[in-house]
Amino acid sequence: MILSMEFAWFQWMALSALAICLSVLTFHLIRLIRQGSPQDYSKSAGSISRGVRYAFTGAMSPARKASAYLHLPTYTAGLIYHSGTFLSFFLFFFIITGNFPEGWLTLLIVSFLAISALCGIGIFIKRMVKQELLSLSNPDDFISNLLVTIFQVFTVIILLCNTNLISEGTTVQLPGCPTAQLIYFFHFTLLMLYVPVGKLRHLLYFFAARYHLGFFYGRRGVWPSGNINSKAG
Amino acid sequence: MKEDMKSKALSKLNSNGSSRLLTQLNSCVHCGLCAESCLYYEAFRDARFVPAKKVELVASVYRRYYTLTGKTLPWLTGAKELDDKMIAEMIDLLYGACTMCGRCNLHCSIGLDIAHVVFTGRSMLADMNLVPDTLQATVDAAIKTGNNMAIPTHELVDTIKWLEEDLRMEVNDDNALIPLDEPGKNILYTLNPREPKFFPLSISAMAKIFHVAGESWTISTKMYDVTNYGYFSGNEQEASEIAGRLHREMESLGAKRCVLAECGHGSRAFRWEAPNYLGKAFDFDVLTSVELIAEYIRDGRIKLDPGRLKGKVTLHDPCNLVRGGGIFEEQRYILKHAVSDFTEMEPHGPDNLCCGGGGGQLAMGEYNERRMKIAGLKADQIRKTGAKIVCTPCHNCVDQLIQTNASYKLGVKIMTLAEVVSEAMV
Repeated sequence: MILSMEFAWFQWMALSALAICLSVLTFHLIRLIRQGSPQDYSKSAGSISRGVRYAFTGAMSPARKASAYLHLPTYTAGLIYHSGTFLSFFLFFFIITGNFPEGWLTLLIVSFLAISALCGIGIFIKRMVKQELLSLSNPDDFISNLLVTIFQVFTVIILLCNTNLISEGTTVQLPGCPTAQLIYFFHFTLLMLYVPVGKLRHLLYFFAARYHLGFFYGRRGVWPSGNINSKAG
Repeated sequence: MKEDMKSKALSKLNSNGSSRLLTQLNSCVHCGLCAESCLYYEAFRDARFVPAKKVELVASVYRRYYTLTGKTLPWLTGAKELDDKMIAEMIDLLYGACTMCGRCNLHCSIGLDIAHVVFTGRSMLADMNLVPDTLQATVDAAIKTGNNMAIPTHELVDTIKWLEEDLRMEVNDDNALIPLDEPGKNILYTLNPREPKFFPLSISAMAKIFHVAGESWTISTKMYDVTNYGYFSGNEQEASEIAGRLHREMESLGAKRCVLAECGHGSRAFRWEAPNYLGKAFDFDVLTSVELIAEYIRDGRIKLDPGRLKGKVTLHDPCNLVRGGGIFEEQRYILKHAVSDFTEMEPHGPDNLCCGGGGGQLAMGEYNERRMKIAGLKADQIRKTGAKIVCTPCHNCVDQLIQTNASYKLGVKIMTLAEVVSEAMV
């Protein structure tokens, strides 16, 4: 359906960048799958599938991870920021096809994305001022944050440019909206081309990491809590 | 740095046959939220000790040599050369500031197996012959003499013989034995060489348990060492050599089960890693003495009186046994039967704090100061329990806890699980 629609050249550019991004990530995914799970000759003491399920569920609980419960504000900001990122990406397909949300839904989305973008800015500032983080960081960390945060900001702008918040049936053209639209698609293009380059590809590797952790601890009977093969009373 | 050694080290990053290492090297997002899960960071509050930093050492080298961005725009993703500066930092942080306890794995936002990346880094350094001398000396002793303390066979035999005499007196049975090199037994029991050298009574304790349980067992004088410091050094060839000897001895004596003495890394190295070092599944059972003792209690082969051992008891969970090996219910089951006043440390189980002696730290004297500083966290845990006895099923942990006890003036007694059980047996 998307391919049959008429798009401006900058929209085609954005779609092409998306296709490139997905192709490279698919390459990474295929490489991961082909390399496969570890071959382990030791005798299993637990369940890999239960361990993997737990890795994606219970083990992610903020109550279980010091990275969450000792850093609740950062953890919450991260959660909101990631949610905002996925929402912005999801909205891209509506924006590019001209199907904009209306009324209270727009207000809700815009408010959430504004908070999400602020979370991104907060995380960026934290990385700059906290010594432990700064010493760990490289340009990719900052660029990744900036690209994603700006993407969320531009999503807000585009939504505001194409909504009838003020009065029904009236779309108020804010000054600069046509330029903002152009920049939005340019920025999306840049973001999609950058995703496979640096740490943003953790959007794929995160799942592989949780799988491997669940595999390891599940097999050894560490996850889920308790040794399921234990005969202890 | 010789180029061929460097190439060999770098080849370790060419993910070998599974997506596990590839995943670890591509996943860290530098959030730094792993910091407080690490004893070194908690004790020193030094940014260098954040677990993600240790990952970054290895991952930055990986990116430099194995990724397009790292090769063409190294500055962008912090990709680094494996040069002398990097190597020095790797030695200092991967050997000197990590016990490979794996606690950070559980608390990482993404779920990286950070300990595995540290091990990979160590194995790169081992390929370049850069294992700290003190640690390498322990491995060399094991390779050359069959045990990591270079105890001559006759010394072991003499020790076992007088322990056997003691056992006969204690159980009032002239037929009580500590069998050596007997083929066809049900169990081949291994020892931590620290036992015959410094803690012979822990051998007595286990011998008493075997006797009361009516077990068919033996110790090999040729290969009894449960430890495998090759696991700590990262030299997989040497780790494999050591594991292979125990495997061959099992087959030679024809025992049905290999029971591993109380040793966290030893249990892990033989139970979990050795089949992969040797590239084959074992056709005999491998279990820890903790599992065996629990089995004896459950089957009624030994009976315990929890009132015999006086004083509040707490339990230190050895990382490699618990978090790395899944054995955390058995020791609690045993202590429920063996003591009347037990209290847990917080945190405990898979989320326990390392004693600080793991990862080969006890062998590496050059890092003693750091080791004893991080021991302070364990000391705090022990103090908070109010316990008078600290039980731990690991001789490395026993060593570290004895030093912690003295250094932090805790006034506690450190006992292995076998010693606690032996005291409680009726």
